[in-house]
Amino acid sequence: MNGFIVENGGLQSSIQDAGRRGFSDIGLTQSGAMDEMAFGYANFLVGNTFNTPAIEIAMGGASFKARSEMCIAICGANMQPTCNGHSIALWQTHPLRRGDVIAFGFANEGQFAYIAVAGGFQTPFAYGSYSTSLKEGLGGLEGRKLKTGDLLHTFGNRCPVDRRKLERKFIPKYPETITVRLVKGYQEAMFDAASQEIFFNSVYTFKGEGDRMGYRLSGEKVVPTHTGILSEPICYGAVQVPSHGEPIVLLKERQTIGGYPKIGSVIAVDCFKLAQLKAGGNVKFKEVSLKEAQRVMRAFYTFFKAQEA
Amino acid sequence: MSRRYAIASESSVIVYFGTTIDPLISQEVQKAYQALKAKAQEGFYEIIPSYASLMVSYDVMRFDFDVVCEIIENSIHQAEALTLSEPKIITIPVYYGREVGLDLELLAQEKNLSVEEIIALHVKGLYTVYAIGFAPGFAYLGEIDERLATSRLATPRKAVPKGSVSIADRQTAVYPTQSPGGWKVLGRTPTAMFDASYDGLSLLHVGDHVRYESISKEEFLKLGGEL
Repeated sequence: MNGFIVENGGLQSSIQDAGRRGFSDIGLTQSGAMDEMAFGYANFLVGNTFNTPAIEIAMGGASFKARSEMCIAICGANMQPTCNGHSIALWQTHPLRRGDVIAFGFANEGQFAYIAVAGGFQTPFAYGSYSTSLKEGLGGLEGRKLKTGDLLHTFGNRCPVDRRKLERKFIPKYPETITVRLVKGYQEAMFDAASQEIFFNSVYTFKGEGDRMGYRLSGEKVVPTHTGILSEPICYGAVQVPSHGEPIVLLKERQTIGGYPKIGSVIAVDCFKLAQLKAGGNVKFKEVSLKEAQRVMRAFYTFFKAQEA
Repeated sequence: MSRRYAIASESSVIVYFGTTIDPLISQEVQKAYQALKAKAQEGFYEIIPSYASLMVSYDVMRFDFDVVCEIIENSIHQAEALTLSEPKIITIPVYYGREVGLDLELLAQEKNLSVEEIIALHVKGLYTVYAIGFAPGFAYLGEIDERLATSRLATPRKAVPKGSVSIADRQTAVYPTQSPGGWKVLGRTPTAMFDASYDGLSLLHVGDHVRYESISKEEFLKLGGEL
């Protein structure tokens, strides 16, 4: 058999691709990699196409044993990965031999790390995606996080590319304070000038109240003019403000519809950054135009698509 | 009727058909949803209907906002000329026993009705699927008789059993899987709401009509129901 055996699933490791599309109308969440940038680089480094399933490790503590020769890359949060006890670098390819053990400590920077393997994991495909939706118990490996003894088969064992290492300037940083760009929309009219003034000029703290569904931020309260609205569809990055007045940014495993007022949405590329924010980190919101937001999104996906050519 | 287009995100647009729960508004949403689904526009990767709105998530590599709005508006305009296809009527069997109708007694007290009257009021309605969300296959059905209209539980349950038939405000729904929830539970169905073997995965789709049918404990068990 080619692939990994899970020695320790850690706190929460799961199989993810870029997410599930086309099933939200029957209530399935999007799911997928919380940070598509680190996920994308990991696949790029081993020569995979962008949307190839990888292992997402949340917070750390996981270990895996190679059952065959394989070629991997680890990107994202720094969980001090080791191979047979020796440190190995992130953001580059590593050939593995049969019996090698890759182990992770806990993240000192960022929250999510990705292991991509050349050829991709041969895990079940459900509802248009390889992604695990942990809340729904759908997709991935039986809809759950990885546990000891799981076998993760891979396609082939050759690395289709020479060893690759990401240029330093491309390596994302995960600082303690981030600014995320937001496109106003939805019920922005329910947030008056004073509320918007507060929202765009405050520093919010992520106290760790969040998961793959979304992050709640603490700080100065924003009061919408209405406490509830008729339930409506929710998109990735939507910032909803329930009656407690603290914004919640909805991420990959968000509910598909909901009834809280929303000021707009954090752009996808900045949701990836937000996902990596550790508890105690700070967030500032900055308004961008729709045109600028679309330019950023196009640049992101054009970059990864161009790598595939 | 005029529609309002709003930005949801850099890759999503939301169309508002109204702001209230209203069968006529819902029908407009359903028409638009059917038309857009049938069109299967490449690059429209999510089309999500709700009570009075519909959201389309699109590929920004292909479209900008104005073009997407124009495509949606044209599809809706064409669909207006057509009558909505006849709704499917789906009957959901429900066992309204006290051991599964966790809030029957509570509701009876609150509403000053007998448990039998509550069941009768719940069974007599023909409901419409207004939206699906919260969980895969969780369909929001409306509207229940106003004599049953009730608030959510003050403290939501950590685990509402799978198949629980419940109400909140003037809505009713079945919990497709065991999940946390605050709707008041009247009974339980043995019918799966979400199953990989169903065409379309979900038993119900927006626009479908639903009837509940009261069944005995024996029938419930025979149909595979679990207590």
